Amino acid sequence: MMMFRNLRFALNSAWQSFWRNLAVSLAAVLSITLILILAGVNLLVGHALSQVLDGFRDKVSVISINVADDTPLASVYSYQTQLSADPRVASVRFITKDEALANFAKDPNNAVLAQQLDGNPLDAKLEVRVRNLSDVASIDAVARQWSGVDPTNPTNYQGDFVRRMLQLSQWLGIAGVGLLAILVVVSVVIVMNTIRTAVYHRRKEIEVMKLVGATEWFVRGPFVIEGVMTGLIAASIALSLLVIAYPPAVAQFRSDIAFIPLSYDPTFLASLARDLLLGGALLGAVGSYIGVRRFVRL
Amino acid sequence: MVLTPDFDSRPVISFQHVWKRYPSGTEALRDINLVVPEGDFVFLVGPSGAGKSTLVRLLIREEKPTKGKIFVEGVELGRMKRRKLPYYRRKIGLVFQDFKLLPNLTVYENVAFALRVLGEPDRLVQSRAAEALDTVGLAGKEQTYPSNLSGGEQQRVAIARALVHAPRMIIADEPTGNLDPATAWEIMQLFLRINSRGATVVMATHNREIVDLLRRRVVAIDAGQIARDDRSGRYHDDVSKPQIRAQ
Repeated sequence: MMMFRNLRFALNSAWQSFWRNLAVSLAAVLSITLILILAGVNLLVGHALSQVLDGFRDKVSVISINVADDTPLASVYSYQTQLSADPRVASVRFITKDEALANFAKDPNNAVLAQQLDGNPLDAKLEVRVRNLSDVASIDAVARQWSGVDPTNPTNYQGDFVRRMLQLSQWLGIAGVGLLAILVVVSVVIVMNTIRTAVYHRRKEIEVMKLVGATEWFVRGPFVIEGVMTGLIAASIALSLLVIAYPPAVAQFRSDIAFIPLSYDPTFLASLARDLLLGGALLGAVGSYIGVRRFVRL
Repeated sequence: MVLTPDFDSRPVISFQHVWKRYPSGTEALRDINLVVPEGDFVFLVGPSGAGKSTLVRLLIREEKPTKGKIFVEGVELGRMKRRKLPYYRRKIGLVFQDFKLLPNLTVYENVAFALRVLGEPDRLVQSRAAEALDTVGLAGKEQTYPSNLSGGEQQRVAIARALVHAPRMIIADEPTGNLDPATAWEIMQLFLRINSRGATVVMATHNREIVDLLRRRVVAIDAGQIARDDRSGRYHDDVSKPQIRAQ
């Protein structure tokens, strides 16, 4: 019962104080909004890049093992089964010589060349899709040991590209985390100072609260709730702006840099909303907690 | 009628060889020994900077003594845990020279505030606040804001707030310092009435007329030491200060 009354008191006084010190409250909302927009853009760009990377990764995580013409079919099938059992392998597809030729001929770039071909010089192949991009090289090494492989041209995969892709995605991940960390530190400092200004305006009230025997949490509660409110309002504003700006930004990017397959992903918005609201509430709460600390200590 | 407290009864406040030196090096109190029995009315007098306010600050545990011990109702303040402090403050009523009212709350809200902080239920808050405002003669002014009140009325609100949770002890730091003599006298009457109901009152004051008129216990502090402790004293003693200082 007493908890409930205290909570009601805290909610009431947080709400009142937000409106009473509107200028300071708005300054806090504005700074958190700006930070959350930056964080949101960071998340969106990160997500877009990882989408693009996933697209590439899908294409490069395939290695084809060329089968020598004299290999018996039974041996190919048994090797296919053996590969499928490997935990690193996602799937193995057998492409016969005829299919390989048909695929080759399908590409309009090869049309002229295909007509001039005598017989079928193409190998049959096992197309292995690995689960993890970094396993491509090890699968390649294994495949080269197989007796049925074409010794003149054993395997095909984009090795160098794979390595660079892995490096790039690693660096981008680190950069994104670093940027987020900096944003968090900067924003906590800003919020803390904004809230401290708000608290400074009300130090007399805090003094009276302490003199009549309010506990530290009783004094702190309203400020922390006010901080959470501020953070949630800021997060809502930032989120709305990002949701509005996201599709046209993607469209613009695609018309400018067509070769990077950036796409609009509405499902990501739900997780963005969750992150921003949670982040805003947390920033407000932590900022308030630290901001009010100096004044609350008995 | 002057009530004589029972000096043999359990002491409410006891200072034992208390020293206070501020980080700046100022020695505010030196070897203070003081016992206040339950129901006593004590004036702390002395020139500005003598250490009266420091003594009050120690008593409400805004400061800790550098040396010595202070007991209030058997609890040593210097050893009290920080989280226990709010509960200690709830046992005392505080009145200050500058009233310390919240300007954005009405008279009623200011008084009720002291109970809300304790998490008391609404019905109790209402009846107790109304009672306290009635005691200080402010019934009918509940919805007024402090800025629309005279100094004396503001101090009455502060006293109502100090009373509302029925403390056993009232500590007042220059409560009449900002008031004209007639109003100061009215406020003093209030403190006397509170004392006659059994609350111990400790009051730091410069108000010579009132001290001399009431003839209650007077503890004179000078240069951080207790210069005089009279059961029914005056503001100045005939054994004048220079001699005491020379000791």
